[in-house]
Amino acid sequence: MTAKTPPNVRIFSVKTRFQELAQRPGGVPRELAIQQAESQIADIKPEFIGWVDHELQQLTQALRKATDRNVDNAALDEIQFRARQLRDTGTTMGFVLITFIADNLCRVIDTVKNGAPYDGEVVDCHVDALNLARQDAYRSLGPDDVPEMTRGLHRMLERANRSIPGRAG
Amino acid sequence: MQAIEQKPRSLKNVSVNLRGLTILIADPGNFMRRVIYGMLRGFGANRILEAADAADVLSALMQQKIDILILDAKLPPHNGLAVTQAIRRNTDNENRTLPILIMTSDAQQSTVKEARDAGANMVVAKPMSPTTLYDRLVWIAFDRRQFIDCPTYFGPDRRFKIEGYPTGVGRRASDRIEVAAATEPNLEQDDIDSLFQAARAGQSE
Repeated sequence: MTAKTPPNVRIFSVKTRFQELAQRPGGVPRELAIQQAESQIADIKPEFIGWVDHELQQLTQALRKATDRNVDNAALDEIQFRARQLRDTGTTMGFVLITFIADNLCRVIDTVKNGAPYDGEVVDCHVDALNLARQDAYRSLGPDDVPEMTRGLHRMLERANRSIPGRAG
Repeated sequence: MQAIEQKPRSLKNVSVNLRGLTILIADPGNFMRRVIYGMLRGFGANRILEAADAADVLSALMQQKIDILILDAKLPPHNGLAVTQAIRRNTDNENRTLPILIMTSDAQQSTVKEARDAGANMVVAKPMSPTTLYDRLVWIAFDRRQFIDCPTYFGPDRRFKIEGYPTGVGRRASDRIEVAAATEPNLEQDDIDSLFQAARAGQSE
């Protein structure tokens, strides 16, 4: 079935330069390309923990600005920005737990932005968990390997979700 | 106008040649940019630019021809979707049709739909592995969707026939990660891809 194109709609083909050049022969074969990329990531892995420590310092500073009584969007944005960075890189760098904890923290901050009260202790718990997860002993662990921590963080998130106005129960 | 080649039935053994292409990575996180930069270098890219915010992106686009933009959905100050819309709506910029790959750590259905509606070519979920990124680039390289220009939208056609996911291209089992409960379920990468190619003609969801 062919539908008629409305007069104010233009449909056209585009072959971008990206498509033209990316389809050229001579590219790095897929498996080798992925292998080389993994090798590049391996090269920067030693710097990851130093960067995580820096991010945790920044996170702690942001937490100091956000007290239970006085938390503004800028402080929440700062906390969430730091948490998001950790979430986005943790798994890629081999620290699955960092991604899990930071993701949970991002969701907790989302609840605050949606009206739930800010609870500094909950955020502190996440920072403590991140400090733990950055250690070598936790490098290869996932959420299932630390069930108590996982359950605890999930409970905090559930509680935060329930305290969003209009979502009680 | 030159026709775009048919997408191969299987992209499993297809490679892309990124040499000489100008790739712009736009992400507020310096370490994230390093990770993506490393991946792209591994893929053979040799012209990689970086931007930390929307102003950097728009400035780069005004100054030179960018071949593909890898853009964070939360790019400050507004977000990457607003940047996507700004690029698509700018009739004066030759980069208007450039491929845009949106990266998001919030891969919920609503976010993916918003990215599609903003004019993104594809969405990739963070954290991402080299395999995932490579496969998205292959996908975009062989994507033969037409562009739509109408009063409310400019970008790749959001309505096209379901073709299914190319055989052999997908996430690795090790890419899966358990995350906390969400108010709206996150999508798997396959779901994102399906959504992007999802709709039959006239079907927006």
